[in-house]
Amino acid sequence: MSEEVDELREGLEKYIGQPMGPPGTAPDPVNVPMIRHWVDALDDHNPIYLDEDAAVKTRHGGVVAPPAMLQTWIFPRPKIEGIAERGGAPGEWRPDNPIPVLDAAGYVGTLATNSEFEFFRYLRPGDLISTRTEIESISARKKTGLGQGYFITWITYYLDQDGEEVGRQLFRILKFDPSTIDLSKLGAQ
Amino acid sequence: MTALRASDVSVGDALPDWVLDVTPTRVIAGAIASRDFMPAHHDPEFARSQGAPDIFLNILTTNGFVSRFVTDWAGPESMVKAIKIRLGAPAVPGKPLRFSGEIASKTEESDECLVEIALRAANDLGDHATGTVVVSLPLS
Repeated sequence: MSEEVDELREGLEKYIGQPMGPPGTAPDPVNVPMIRHWVDALDDHNPIYLDEDAAVKTRHGGVVAPPAMLQTWIFPRPKIEGIAERGGAPGEWRPDNPIPVLDAAGYVGTLATNSEFEFFRYLRPGDLISTRTEIESISARKKTGLGQGYFITWITYYLDQDGEEVGRQLFRILKFDPSTIDLSKLGAQ
Repeated sequence: MTALRASDVSVGDALPDWVLDVTPTRVIAGAIASRDFMPAHHDPEFARSQGAPDIFLNILTTNGFVSRFVTDWAGPESMVKAIKIRLGAPAVPGKPLRFSGEIASKTEESDECLVEIALRAANDLGDHATGTVVVSLPLS
């Protein structure tokens, strides 16, 4: 079988290695009220998150934010009006993002497959986080259990107010075309 | 909460198993506390329109519970250095999530001990998250 040219994939090549969206800055600095909401939602009673007297006696030297909150700090403020119509996206898509290109081509399904966080230091109340995000790779079209699709991988770099990197996250999603699901294979899972 | 030190742990040690009772409240509280307003995490009708059986835990909350599973065991002196997970079956209400983990490696550095834990969070739909957490413990 001759190599088939995938024009959609070729059109996505220009996004690789490029920023995905503009650099972002957290709407609020790291703060105790948001930490408390998180600790309550997850019933996480590690004293280092809220109990200053206990935290100061540990290696942390005072209260710190739960590391898994890192992405919470930089989520853009959501536009609730119309969020379902936008497929759940918190805001309008920007032209430097390949996801709407795949949506328009019928690859409307989204499945997150990998999240890899590294934390270089714990955050403290008052830290102001900003990010820059870069597309690391876009796969060739693959046949998956959810039909045909493309894996998109991006890396988000988290910086503090001094420009020091405090964490990094690799994130991978599958954008798939639900109309290409092989129904004969469903039910096996 | 006991604060583990390097000498308290060995490769092959299992973490205490933990079962998280996944309820609609749990899913929605986690989504909103993490500022994730994607309707799939609070609106069952929207979730079903996307092919999911019900609302499901958002990834931030999954990462939060993975972190909690490790630090509930390792204690307040521990520092999470990495959480690397592969995502699978959705964590939906009514299907308890079972966490299990085991120490895969232990490396003593000059000022800390890095412990890598291989872990799994599964429900009866399959593996929800599998991967590794690296946590730092004090040397002594």
